[in-house]
Amino acid sequence: MRSEPRTPQPPALDEELFMALERDQLVAGRHRALAPARLSARARGALWALRIFVLLVGAMVIYTFFAQL
Amino acid sequence: MSVTFEETGEFALPLPRHPAQPADELTGEDLARSRDRARVLAARGRSSRWFLLWLLVGPGILAMLGENDGPSMISYAATGAAYGLGFFLPFIIVTFAMAIVCQEMCMRVGAVTHRGYGQLVIERYGRAWGWLAAGDLVFTNLVTLIAEFVAIRVGLAFFNLGAGVAALLGVALVLMAQSGGRYWRWERIVLGLAVFNGLFLLSAVLVKPSAGHIAHAFLTFAPLPHGGFNEILLLLASTIGATVTPWMIFFQQSASADKGLTPGDLTHGRIDTVIGGVLAAVFGCGALVAGAALLGHGGASVDGLAGAGFPEALRRVDGNAVGALFALGLIEAGAVAILTISASTGYAIGECTGASSSFNRSLAEARSFYSANVLVAVIAAAVILIPGVPLLSIALNANVLATVLLPVTLVFMVMLANDRQLMGRFRNGRATNLAVGVTVAVVAVCGAAYGIDSFLLQVHLIG
Repeated sequence: MRSEPRTPQPPALDEELFMALERDQLVAGRHRALAPARLSARARGALWALRIFVLLVGAMVIYTFFAQL
Repeated sequence: MSVTFEETGEFALPLPRHPAQPADELTGEDLARSRDRARVLAARGRSSRWFLLWLLVGPGILAMLGENDGPSMISYAATGAAYGLGFFLPFIIVTFAMAIVCQEMCMRVGAVTHRGYGQLVIERYGRAWGWLAAGDLVFTNLVTLIAEFVAIRVGLAFFNLGAGVAALLGVALVLMAQSGGRYWRWERIVLGLAVFNGLFLLSAVLVKPSAGHIAHAFLTFAPLPHGGFNEILLLLASTIGATVTPWMIFFQQSASADKGLTPGDLTHGRIDTVIGGVLAAVFGCGALVAGAALLGHGGASVDGLAGAGFPEALRRVDGNAVGALFALGLIEAGAVAILTISASTGYAIGECTGASSSFNRSLAEARSFYSANVLVAVIAAAVILIPGVPLLSIALNANVLATVLLPVTLVFMVMLANDRQLMGRFRNGRATNLAVGVTVAVVAVCGAAYGIDSFLLQVHLIG
């Protein structure tokens, strides 16, 4: 007599091991996107100003580096 | 099932803090991390205090000792050789205190959110900011990695080995350390190597420094360094750049999440960070004290990156053992930094592209993560093999460039750590914000002042 083909089972997982993780530690939990933060226009402006300032100073350091070669 | 409600951080909503549900999709990364967490829970259940600490230390020590890298140790030794035991000895302690404040924040955000810095910046503040941060990181990491290979080359030159061996050794280490598919294994290999950062302390002891001079320097911050304004700024910026850098921020937050730290582990995470900071400060002071033995022996003129540089100079003044220890220390410092810095590059690229970025993944599951890890190391190794490349200038400017670009990274870190929705009751307190605010200001002023002053000198706008 032929037996019915069985649906493949997922690999058995040690449940005790699995319970050691918090839910948001799972890869699935970590990939769940967070809501974007709301920044005020002033905060955004300050961030861009800092960014541009840092890039300018970085460019000066790189220029000085090449000029001194 | 009874459910206890506790603020776990995510969105700061009182989320039900219950174990994961088997219905969630599972990966090999989950299983590897759950094994590590099960050991932590078992140790906590048995009240095995020391074993629990052993299980939970790692990211903090690695970030701090990783930053005691080749160029940093050469920079400390050069400062000692030029100025002796004075201002910069206690200043190293101050900069590591600043590093501890910043790194504790990274560990806390990683443990509470279980996400890396790059991923959080992208999700909370937008793709542009995330990519800019990752771009800065990849650029400064590449420059710093070149300097790490140079440091290994300097150390190996003492034993009459060449640049080819240095390049092969560094790349082989990266390949070997990440071959296991487990974060735990990678972390323990790098921790095992990092122990040898203590060789700098040993070489300091062997040069028999004056205890009175050391105590005087710590108590008075004197004598103050002499020299031109630009030279002092360079020393300040490179010393700060030797202790707080963008890669450390990316690395410790991502590694804390990868290790599986949770809000319940914050105390141990803090201990880990403080141990790392204290060890790094002591070993860094060791390098400065060893270098100070060359004061009066033409130490200021030692070209630390030409040939065997400092190890050879120390051998002539204090004997073969001191030179050999310093050379071995440089090889270790470069090797550990290559591993941690290339890891931070892999984490950053993985988090920004949304690809898997974990040492708990197999090579097939996280190709971009492992490829980025190896690729930056290979590029840096290739650069030191090019004849005539200005390795000395690259190494000296690596720390300064990191200092210049650091303020933006730190500001986003502070914003994340203060994000009430993200961190809930684990967000920064007033004292932490004050300490970090002072750190950001000092870093920004020193880095910018050096950058602008050097530029103006170069274009002859000031004399």
